[in-house]
Amino acid sequence: MSQALDAVNLARDLAGMALCAVASVFAIAGTLGMLLQKDPYTRLQASSLVGTTATFSVLLAALVTAPSVAIAARMVVIIAFFLISNPTTTHIIAKYAWNSGIAPRTAPRARKPGAKVAGDDDD
Amino acid sequence: MTPRKLWTLVRVAATFGFLCGVWLLFSADNGWLSILAGASCAALIALASYDTFIDEHEAGKNMVFPRLLPALAYPARLVAAMYSSSFATLRTLMTGSAAPRVVHFRTRLKSDLARVVLAEAITFTPGTIVIDLDEDHLIVHWLNSTTRHSRRAGETVKGRLESIIGGMWV
Repeated sequence: MSQALDAVNLARDLAGMALCAVASVFAIAGTLGMLLQKDPYTRLQASSLVGTTATFSVLLAALVTAPSVAIAARMVVIIAFFLISNPTTTHIIAKYAWNSGIAPRTAPRARKPGAKVAGDDDD
Repeated sequence: MTPRKLWTLVRVAATFGFLCGVWLLFSADNGWLSILAGASCAALIALASYDTFIDEHEAGKNMVFPRLLPALAYPARLVAAMYSSSFATLRTLMTGSAAPRVVHFRTRLKSDLARVVLAEAITFTPGTIVIDLDEDHLIVHWLNSTTRHSRRAGETVKGRLESIIGGMWV
């Protein structure tokens, strides 16, 4: 019984560490992307890696390593509010930029070099 | 009782139930005095604001109240979509192959709540941000655009999210 409990605790710790590692990767990449991108919309896209994926991964790590059910329940509530508040704030920033007349930088063509941009003939 | 009065009663009861749940969640107190105070305030607020919480025209089946099983599965599906999009966005940012574009498309969802949840889900998945939502019309900033055609862009951006949300609400 004690060995099984130890194994579960070890698995939880490993899952928590893996999620924190994933969060670190996304946080670093998102920050670099935010500095490298040219316009507010693509910067916002890059920042969503930090604001959404990295933060969510940390919250998930806190959930799996929660020492008690009471704390885990609180983490679930925090995650639920995060699921609602995070996209709302991102949308508000994007909408403010859009209403302010900031034109987004758009790609002249489709992603794959040489590929025909679908819709060229349809517009 | 007329259908209109019954729907009003359902809206008041749903608002009251939701507010009571939030009260219990935040107060974390199951003492009778706390529950009485919370229920009294919830009843007053529900009577004053049920029309703001649930519109009268949202009276159709599953316009406001989601189907249970799809609703229980939804968070896991959203998180899976979020991680999938995150890795795609990470690859795009690292390789510098972004092809940003603003696309316009429509959603088949009828309920206001379902449309808002779809917009939230699209924004929650990195790589797409909903700039505006007007009735069924969405304006989305798309980082990895592959098409300018609005219907095809809509199918790609909404992906399976629309059908998942359509399983909960109409």
